[in-house]
Amino acid sequence: MDRREAKDRALARYRQERDWFAFLLEAAGMMNTPEGQLQVKLLNILLDSKQKVVECVENDKPFIAAYFCTAPELFTAMDLPWFMIMETPFLGATAPYIMEDLQGAEEMGLGTDLCTAIRLPIYYIESGQMPVPSAVIGLLSPCDGTTMLQQILRHNKAWHNVPLFCPDPPYTSDERAIKYFAKELRQMVKFIEQHTGRKLDIDRLREVCEESNRSYALWQEYNELRRAVPCPHGWEIGGAQAFAVSQCFRAGDPRCTDWFRQLLECGEAKVKAGRGANDYVPEKIRLLWFDIMPYGWIFEFMPWLEQEWGAILVMDMFSNFPYTLIDTSSEETMFHDLAKRNLMDVPMIRQARGTAENFSSDIVRIVKDYKIDAVIWPGHMGHKDGAATAGIMRETCRGIGVPFLHIGLDLFDKRYTSVDEVKDKVSQFFTGMGLG
Amino acid sequence: MPTFDAQVSSVAEYVETLRALGRPTREFALPASVDGLREGLPVRVGAGANPKIILRGDTFVELGSPDAGSCAVVLWTETPSLIRDGTVTLIGPDVREAAGSSLPFGQIVLVGGTDLSAEEHQAIGQAQYVADQIEGYMVRSSSRNIWSRVSNEAATRGFSFETLGRSLMLIYKSSLPKVQAMEIVFVTSSRDDVLRLNDIARAVSDISMEIVKEHWKARGFDLECDLDCRSCHDKDVCDDVRKMIAARARKKNKAAAGQA
Repeated sequence: MDRREAKDRALARYRQERDWFAFLLEAAGMMNTPEGQLQVKLLNILLDSKQKVVECVENDKPFIAAYFCTAPELFTAMDLPWFMIMETPFLGATAPYIMEDLQGAEEMGLGTDLCTAIRLPIYYIESGQMPVPSAVIGLLSPCDGTTMLQQILRHNKAWHNVPLFCPDPPYTSDERAIKYFAKELRQMVKFIEQHTGRKLDIDRLREVCEESNRSYALWQEYNELRRAVPCPHGWEIGGAQAFAVSQCFRAGDPRCTDWFRQLLECGEAKVKAGRGANDYVPEKIRLLWFDIMPYGWIFEFMPWLEQEWGAILVMDMFSNFPYTLIDTSSEETMFHDLAKRNLMDVPMIRQARGTAENFSSDIVRIVKDYKIDAVIWPGHMGHKDGAATAGIMRETCRGIGVPFLHIGLDLFDKRYTSVDEVKDKVSQFFTGMGLG
Repeated sequence: MPTFDAQVSSVAEYVETLRALGRPTREFALPASVDGLREGLPVRVGAGANPKIILRGDTFVELGSPDAGSCAVVLWTETPSLIRDGTVTLIGPDVREAAGSSLPFGQIVLVGGTDLSAEEHQAIGQAQYVADQIEGYMVRSSSRNIWSRVSNEAATRGFSFETLGRSLMLIYKSSLPKVQAMEIVFVTSSRDDVLRLNDIARAVSDISMEIVKEHWKARGFDLECDLDCRSCHDKDVCDDVRKMIAARARKKNKAAAGQA
């Protein structure tokens, strides 16, 4: 295979994903509601970031592969296009080819007990279906699976010469840990500069962090609205989207702030009008879904929760707002606060990297603030780190008197536990707890 | 079990330092009993007392925003005599003196009870996040410190820091029967004054984590892994890596010395 063919092959799936989102954009454009327009704005931001990566591959320009939790504000400040290695499971798991890809991963011999969020990128890398970047920022937390993903890169023929840097996350969450991780981020910047030719300008970083702060401040304000009874939005709007807009495409971009501003306006209008997540079913159960949403089968499950049970997803792990804003007064404070955010605040890393206490204390606070009636820990098969704390979560919920359900499923592959089985378990739970 | 008694003394020293620096300080003596606390409150207190969220446009004053500065500390002791029961100290302007502004906010809650133990530790810490329990007052869902709002309506009805202190004491004493004494300090004088509390807050956070770990351990759960290198299965690998790093560093230094 010559270089051109390899490039085309690597871009085929990426382009297909871009086109899937372009299709969704077309559909969202037909929704003449403020929330529909929000979707349009989000998809435009997403498509633009994807298109930039495509252009980089086609024109041999530098771009990197990284993660949402590797301080994406730095990439924006360096004007460096990037994509998330786990982009498909996180953002594109609704795409129609996912089952085909999961099948492909199995045929490749990848174990079905391996987290699907990791299995899919391994499949794309091994089958040459992921764009090969100029450099990779790897991830060493929150689970062993992510570490293994880096090992795959080092053994893959197309990737093994791609420079790789993994900021080392300490286990603890004290000031010493933050300072250590800030140094790691500085090393990461040096590494990126060396391998992409882009330079970090501190004044530009300040601008980006200030823009990021504006986005985050609006997000926090919006999250207060989700405390309202009824909750103004459910699973579709505002929650996980806010995570994606703030961290997954181009962090610290005015378009993201604009999106949050409109989200807040939509939410405030609904709260003032006393309107809930949807007009066809009243809110009966306020849910905390304490993980990623089940993107592989979300359209088969989440609308059912609302229609069948009046169960509104008021909060989930990725919509939660434990963040603090970045102090932009100096280079040191910016790196310090970026380190804090990416080590201690961002979802999954926050919960599963360090002590199990974060699972417990987050649940207590969210249940109280958001008037949660039931907590669901989906028990994603890949979240073995979290599985070890299911007992702690259950005890915590017992202590505060809120029903807790641990299901056991795959958030991306509905063959693991069928959607009907999940629905049955949830129905039995709601009935047994007197919630429905 | 580690205790917060040293930090209780540090809080007294902190207040005295600010007083000595001439910060305007007011003290309110409140009743000890739950019934006494409830009397004279200008707003309702209890579950569901603040059913609606306070929107930006309905806010009279915001307390402890990231720009203004915030620090919140909750301490408890088994020696109630260390605490001046019913005392609310306010250092800085009160609510009515700050219409439309964003004040820095320090909140120190001191709780005493001879029967208090690790069992109550988390509940004592969580009780400061009042959710919907104080009419016209909303603590925002920020995971660190207290960032809150007082509504226009509550301010019109006379909501003050005395009201907030009274409400917090009422919530604590009615939901945690083992609490015998309570004292609260509010600081609104300046961002610097509030951030001076950070040293106490860090010490409290460390002790708190130890109590939480011990408490879960007693219930049969380990909150963290055993990170002792001596018992780690990968010790040999780490030792080899360190040796390799040292060898490479020596080689590099030698080469650099040779070039010089």
